[in-house]
Amino acid sequence: MNSDAPLLELDQISKYYGNIIALKDVTTSVAAGEVTCVLGDNGAGKSTFIKTLAGVHQPSEGTIRMQGDEVSFTSPRDALDAGIATVYQDLAMVPLMSVWRNFFLGSEPTKGLRIDKKAAKETAKAEMAKMGIDIRDTEQPVGTLSGGERQSVAIARAVYFGAKVLILDEPTSALGVKQSGVVLKYIIAARDRGLGVIFITHNPHHAYPVGDRFMILNRGRSMGNFAKEELPRDELVRMMAGGAELDQLTHELETARID
Amino acid sequence: MSDTTASDSTSTTEERPAAAAPPADERLAYRSVFQRLFVRPEVSAMIGAIGIWTVFWAVSNTFGTVGQTFGWLDIAASLGIMAVAVSMLMIGGEFDLSSGAMTGAMGILIIYIVKDTGELGGLGIPLALALPLSLAVALGIGYLNGFMVERTGQPSFIITLATFFALRGLKLGLSKRAVDQIQMGTTDEASDYDFFRPFFAAEWQRNDHQFEARDVFYTAFVLLGLALIVLAVCELWFQRRDTLEPGGLAQFLGGTAVAVVGVILLHATDGVGANVAIAALISVGGLAALHGFARWRYEPVAEPGTMQLDPAMRRRVGLGLGLVVVGSAIAMLIDSSSDGELFFPFTTQGVRAMLFVGICAAGMTALAMASQKALSVNAATKFVVTASMALGMAIVAATVFLDSADTKFRGGLFSVLLAIAVLLFGWAVVSSRFTERRFVDRAADRLGNRVIIAGVVAVGIGMAFRLLFTVEDEILAGIPPAKTSIRVFWFVLFTSVMVWVLANTKFGSWVFAVGGNKEAARQVGVPAARTKTQLFMLVAFAAWLVGILIAFRINSIQANTGDGEEFEYIIAAVVGGTLLTGGYGTAFGGAIGACIMAMPLIGISSARWNSDWRFLLLGVILLLAVVSNRFIRLRAEGIRR
Repeated sequence: MNSDAPLLELDQISKYYGNIIALKDVTTSVAAGEVTCVLGDNGAGKSTFIKTLAGVHQPSEGTIRMQGDEVSFTSPRDALDAGIATVYQDLAMVPLMSVWRNFFLGSEPTKGLRIDKKAAKETAKAEMAKMGIDIRDTEQPVGTLSGGERQSVAIARAVYFGAKVLILDEPTSALGVKQSGVVLKYIIAARDRGLGVIFITHNPHHAYPVGDRFMILNRGRSMGNFAKEELPRDELVRMMAGGAELDQLTHELETARID
Repeated sequence: MSDTTASDSTSTTEERPAAAAPPADERLAYRSVFQRLFVRPEVSAMIGAIGIWTVFWAVSNTFGTVGQTFGWLDIAASLGIMAVAVSMLMIGGEFDLSSGAMTGAMGILIIYIVKDTGELGGLGIPLALALPLSLAVALGIGYLNGFMVERTGQPSFIITLATFFALRGLKLGLSKRAVDQIQMGTTDEASDYDFFRPFFAAEWQRNDHQFEARDVFYTAFVLLGLALIVLAVCELWFQRRDTLEPGGLAQFLGGTAVAVVGVILLHATDGVGANVAIAALISVGGLAALHGFARWRYEPVAEPGTMQLDPAMRRRVGLGLGLVVVGSAIAMLIDSSSDGELFFPFTTQGVRAMLFVGICAAGMTALAMASQKALSVNAATKFVVTASMALGMAIVAATVFLDSADTKFRGGLFSVLLAIAVLLFGWAVVSSRFTERRFVDRAADRLGNRVIIAGVVAVGIGMAFRLLFTVEDEILAGIPPAKTSIRVFWFVLFTSVMVWVLANTKFGSWVFAVGGNKEAARQVGVPAARTKTQLFMLVAFAAWLVGILIAFRINSIQANTGDGEEFEYIIAAVVGGTLLTGGYGTAFGGAIGACIMAMPLIGISSARWNSDWRFLLLGVILLLAVVSNRFIRLRAEGIRR
């Protein structure tokens, strides 16, 4: 173990599905207490990227290092045990189950055979309070929460279960402006508690305020890693949208408005 | 039960806010008592069961007897063990079409293993080995079902359909090989049959068990249970006060004492005049107790106001009472002694009963809706409108008393209806004088729910006393013998264990999770494939248990035993409120569903209907259950989705 090494490092990761290149030579890293944003349009390879990190797929080429040691995950459980928690776009929540059951799902505290419900409810409430989330009633089904609240339950859960690296898959994509702001706040809260956060999004306006470094994916390839200082917001937006392509599109749209 | 740990500055206390300012959390909409109760699927199933029981009780002379009750309980037992297991599998999001055939297959397998090797096939191994051996086979088949479903990713519907046909073939093949018949017998060829028989086929002859104090226990438990349910509804309904009012407690205890004395007197005395006086005494005591209880615990209404019946309200009350009167008049007008068919398939009495019940029920519903609306006017109005429900019920009771041909209506049904009328009057008093809770109070909800469960259990225990024991008077009156068997005990035991497992264990949580959102469950580390496989093995275990029970009950088993019953298990589960798509339901609901399925089997023949109608009835029940479950859940969840 090397204490200077970043928390999680990806070196030249590639993933092929048969003859389809989903990901090619992607390199990035995240340090403790930092947010690395991975930006990409639809089809850029974001999903493959996440699944590779989360242990759903093994990379075809390249290495993953955690704190300097090479690791390989054969299942989501492996990645979880290593401290990589993934919060998926579809929320990884069971809508008809209560908040506290969802919070502890898969890792229920037990007393003998039975679940220690009292401890579970109290812990869930307290842990979410620590993240600044006020869920009044941990008995209510997750399905009754708003999208932002659900994301925050998932984030609080990952933090509580000792995640070192938190991977967020488009947590703001389905949310309104205000709700997105709430989720961004929780991302900061998780960062401040010393986690490395990988924030995957296609929205540069969400990424820029919280990110410390940025990696842009396009057609399965990395378009480079940037620290926040090297990259003004406008440049990020341009790169994200494919730069020249956006200029072209802007032009087309402007000319189309004549009618 | 206040929450002391969440004292963090950012969190507000969850439990009840100060009574003076109850606005709780604006994000949590208050749900009415009925919404809170009916969101539990087994509640509506239980009401359905009571309804079906009442229908058969009314149309047949023998359905309510102990013998017939044992009859449908016995059918419900083997159906129910499977229905509970299948409910859990369905909550986990899968089906098992092989479950029916599996019960028969396990029975035949056991007999095949124990059968004397003498002339044809069979292995001649004692039951002590045959039972674990067959269990291993059952669990193996269950494992195979789960493994195939998980490995192939095909719907369990198809995989288990294949298992179903394989088992059918196996049953026939084994039977033919062993005895060259499509019937396999017999269990009692096993050398240690006598040792195992008590565990799986012990019978309870009711007439051999005299217990003179039976009715004391029966009455005590049933009344205790009903009282607990009423008090629990109060707890769910009203707003607790800040400091308890000791005067109310004294009144509650005093009233209870009077009512208890009344019940004891009722047991001891005879004669109509005395009965009426004592019934009045019990009513007064009970009402005083109810009012005292409310005074002790709940916040009184500040300003009762004066009665205001606006035109709309007057119309509702008038319509309700009018319908009750019309329904009663129709019942009076049609001759209660005429028998015979009016037009197919209705008899005169059937039509009379349907008109009476239907019109009066519509009237009572209108009154209930008016009562619901009345609270928004003021407390005095609420009292008058709710009291009119009591009046309506009293009219119904009077009609039943005056115009029924059958003593069971004039006696039993009349008493029950009158008691309901008295209770409704008590409710009118209490609900208009105490504040309805309009905010979420988890502690009160939890307590109320627990007390309701305790009440239901107490009623069940009371019924059990009545069913299991006889008294000297009954024997002297020549009551026919009735017997039940240990199968019912297995049913109760299995259901209890599964209800507990589902509510309290990791496995239970995971069952809901894999049925609700399998991918999500997998991603947070729930062993989804293993959980589902274990569920298939649980169903196989249940089939093994039922297979043993069949083998011990009928001694020789037809090769097609159990085939097709898998659909009845699924129906029972759905009737019990389990969602076909998984993730929602209860084990207890499956048990109630099994009772609902079993009652018509006995009821149809005891009502002397042609038993060919049985499947029609089952179909109608399923359809009604699905529609009403959906309707009730949507209403109950109202704000949920």
